[in-house]
Amino acid sequence: MTSARLARLTPYIYILPAVLVMLAGLMYPILSAVQLSFYDWSLGTDFETARFVGLDAFVEMLKSEQVWTSMGVTVAFVLIAVSAELVLGVALALFLEKPVRGMRFFRTIFVLPMMIAPICVGLIWRYLFDANFGPVNHAVSWMGLSPQAWLADPVLAFTAMVVTDIWQWTPFVLIMVLAGLQGLDESVMEAARIDGANWWQQIVRVKLPILKPILIVTLLARMIDGFRGLEVIYVMTFGGPGLSTELFSLHIFKAAFISQKLGYSSALSILLLVIVSALSIAILLISNPLKTKARR
Amino acid sequence: MKRRQLLQGAAASAALGPWVHTLAQDRYAKYKGQTIVVNYPAHPHYDQAEKLFAEFTAETGIKVERDKMQYLRMKDKQVLEMGKRGNGDYDVAVYVVMWKTEYVKKDLLEPLDGYFANKALADPGWDQKDIIGKYWETNALVGGPKMYLPGPGARPYGIPFGAETGVLAYRTDILEKHKIAVPKTYNDLLSACRVIKDKEGIGGLTSRGQTGHQVTAAWLLHLTPHGGEVFDSNWRAAFNNAQGVRAAEILKEIVDTGPAGIPSYGFGEMQNAFLQGQAAMYLDSVAIMGPVQDPAKSRIAGKVGYAVHPKGTQHSAQSGGFAMAIPKNARNKDAAFLFMQWMTSKQADLKIAMSGGNINRWSTLDNADVGKKYALELPALRESLKIANPDWRPLIPEWDHISQQIIGQALPDVITGRKPAKQALDAAVKAAEDAVRQGGWLKS
Amino acid sequence: MSNPETVPRGSPLHYLMLTLLATSCLLPLVIMTMTSLKTEAQIFDTQWSWLFAPTLDNYRSVVQDNHIERYMLNSLKVSLAATLITLMLGTMCAYAMARFRFLGREPLSYSTLILRTLPPAVLAVPVFVIWSAWGIGDTLSGVVLVYVALNLPFTIWLLYGFIDQLPIELEEAAAIDGCGPFKVFYKIVLPLLKPGLAAAAIFTFRLAWNEFILSFILTNRITRTLPASISNYITDTGVEWGKIMAAGVLIALPPLIFTFVAAKQIITGLTAGAVKG
Repeated sequence: MTSARLARLTPYIYILPAVLVMLAGLMYPILSAVQLSFYDWSLGTDFETARFVGLDAFVEMLKSEQVWTSMGVTVAFVLIAVSAELVLGVALALFLEKPVRGMRFFRTIFVLPMMIAPICVGLIWRYLFDANFGPVNHAVSWMGLSPQAWLADPVLAFTAMVVTDIWQWTPFVLIMVLAGLQGLDESVMEAARIDGANWWQQIVRVKLPILKPILIVTLLARMIDGFRGLEVIYVMTFGGPGLSTELFSLHIFKAAFISQKLGYSSALSILLLVIVSALSIAILLISNPLKTKARR
Repeated sequence: MKRRQLLQGAAASAALGPWVHTLAQDRYAKYKGQTIVVNYPAHPHYDQAEKLFAEFTAETGIKVERDKMQYLRMKDKQVLEMGKRGNGDYDVAVYVVMWKTEYVKKDLLEPLDGYFANKALADPGWDQKDIIGKYWETNALVGGPKMYLPGPGARPYGIPFGAETGVLAYRTDILEKHKIAVPKTYNDLLSACRVIKDKEGIGGLTSRGQTGHQVTAAWLLHLTPHGGEVFDSNWRAAFNNAQGVRAAEILKEIVDTGPAGIPSYGFGEMQNAFLQGQAAMYLDSVAIMGPVQDPAKSRIAGKVGYAVHPKGTQHSAQSGGFAMAIPKNARNKDAAFLFMQWMTSKQADLKIAMSGGNINRWSTLDNADVGKKYALELPALRESLKIANPDWRPLIPEWDHISQQIIGQALPDVITGRKPAKQALDAAVKAAEDAVRQGGWLKS
Repeated sequence: MSNPETVPRGSPLHYLMLTLLATSCLLPLVIMTMTSLKTEAQIFDTQWSWLFAPTLDNYRSVVQDNHIERYMLNSLKVSLAATLITLMLGTMCAYAMARFRFLGREPLSYSTLILRTLPPAVLAVPVFVIWSAWGIGDTLSGVVLVYVALNLPFTIWLLYGFIDQLPIELEEAAAIDGCGPFKVFYKIVLPLLKPGLAAAAIFTFRLAWNEFILSFILTNRITRTLPASISNYITDTGVEWGKIMAAGVLIALPPLIFTFVAAKQIITGLTAGAVKG
């Protein structure tokens, strides 16, 4: 092989293994999910016995009250939790923006919650919110309020789910915003101060606009994660009471492994895929990290 | 002539003694060294049964690999495993009686009559009639009337193990303190709950309540005692009639006067609330009897009395629990059968009962030592077995789905007070009838 | 970059805020550890106590009765394998994307970005079916395959950002000196990529170690990983909080150690590409 030929083939050799794995591990399953969604297939039976039902699963999905409820719960969860995390994260970052000694230590601690396995997070908070023995109720009684059966009431269980997410991910938002603020040019701030802008105006007129790209990326990343969420709630409430904490990913899992309707659950997962892809395309449009052209 | 015959006879019987013993050893000889994989739930009865695994291996040479799981998650794994082409991982799968018809319909289990008839495997001393009849009918038989009841066509697909009926357990000290008589009817029960909640400050009756299977099971407990049924004889929904609604309202009242958090209670939380003193009464499986006496688990040992499930318009107690079965794609089916037979034999059942597990056999129930250990519990258990009702829920293949996703999603709104019972149950009728229509039961 | 000497001491209020935040991050983890050291009686005590006589019984129990060392070993094997393979494949692919122009570069880049956000629930059913058909269901290799596939998009994108930042002059100089493209990659680029590789390694390991749903579906009792085994403690026989928390602590330990050792890399990984310049 001539060295020119080799040079031309080089990139393909480099990308081939990765592309193969992604095709086999991601694309092929996704295409299978699409195919499966056209069949009525029950777990534990042979695929040969599965009936072709065309778009029936999608129709059933769109007509199903449970699907809409679950979607509603997921959207509500995403909106509330993510807004809270953003507001808290930005507020804290603005307050703690000045680099101080020992910041590295604190930042390390802030990374901890998001590194812990979601299943552990679910377990810990299920224990914390336990109606009879959980520390949350101990703290609540100590403060003189009446203890609640957190995970037994639809509204309180939803709240508990939101609180858990806020605990785990606000530090992440904090870190992201802090990083964004560090890119802030001092001279711009100086100019604003000279112009007579007060503290509030400095934030709204100068800092927030500069933070916009990172905020949007963080927002969308959190939203996508919210739609993907499954493991925490699997352990904490398994969707209950009723459907009050039935996140969409969990609904898909239950359709597949509890109702054992593999075709139907595939239809549900296609819907989820469409939503999440739309959100990620939105991220791409806003902040495309690939604008640099190739150098060779 | 006669003397020779006599002598021959005597010699023969003398020789027969050890030979019968060797026969038993021969039964296991072929399988020495094999390993079987047993999938079973984390449940009080099996916690005790586990302790005998080593003894089984010592006696038979068959090794036991354990796969212990949470019982509601077992089904997902079992269906995955048993549905595989080629060999599945499990040799013995323990099923909850609710799944028996679905498993047989999907052709996942080995029918057991062939094994019992196989002289090389069957233990002549095993005695099927000694197994408590109601348990055999409810847990073992599939293929009879309505597919789940005893009768023509029914064959055994599992051996009951960890089978149970229901019982009312109560705190003798608390009932005495407030001068409450042992509840005999539902009215007694509910008024006792109110008094205990108001005057003692703890829950009256503990109950399951978690969305899905658990809340449905709790509701079912009160359904048949009031003459209710889930489906009528034509398979139309009957759970939203007057009796069904009454049962749901009773459940709501129990939740209101019960310990905190019932809507999230599974079996474990329910049991725990009683054992830790947060509720004064317990109405569910007899599996509570062992743990009550266990100081590591219970604060109330010695303060508990037992009675039969209260009467509504009739007496009807739950019947169900677990059974052991052999998957069709198991690798070591004979060894699996030997294991199941051994664990449910008279000797093993006695040992398990003495250490706190469920009683499976009449001989165990009548045993003197068991009688002494459970002097308090046995009278109630005997009475409960009389009123145990194999038809207290429709165990058709579609039942699991109906119980978890349909009725189990309608009842949470009732017990959390979001919807009145009639409205919630009415809303579930269509989905339930669709399910039985799909299963071929409802023809319309 | 601020000069360390000029980093000021913060106000007391500032440190108070930081401490409060740190406490709220740590408290649940501390409680988890405390509970893992309590006996059942202490856990079910209606009075809360910070002081108690700790016991190692729960840890003893999960190790002896529940084969936890088997699950930990499985988790370790899977996580290490997935991390190594993802790094190898990902780095090569990212390098090609950053330095070469080739057919399919744009589609590859965009698909990578979108695939990054794929919900595991979507993969659950198809992967189970396909992996069984291919004979790798219930095997550790099957699990590694799906973890690598899941991690590649993020890793490629992350490393692309790092490679992009490297001055190309070094590589050009090496090429002029007669190094072939492969040699340039190994000798020049890789060593400079260490921070990026560290970040990618940590994220991949974290996902592989923590992941529950896919491993629950794809493993049997022999190949089960640590998180999948924990679901077995969510029993219905009087919630065994002590044991669950002990298992939980064991799961949380490696990520905790990583965090303390490599917090800087983690933060770099998180913010790479999101912050301009």
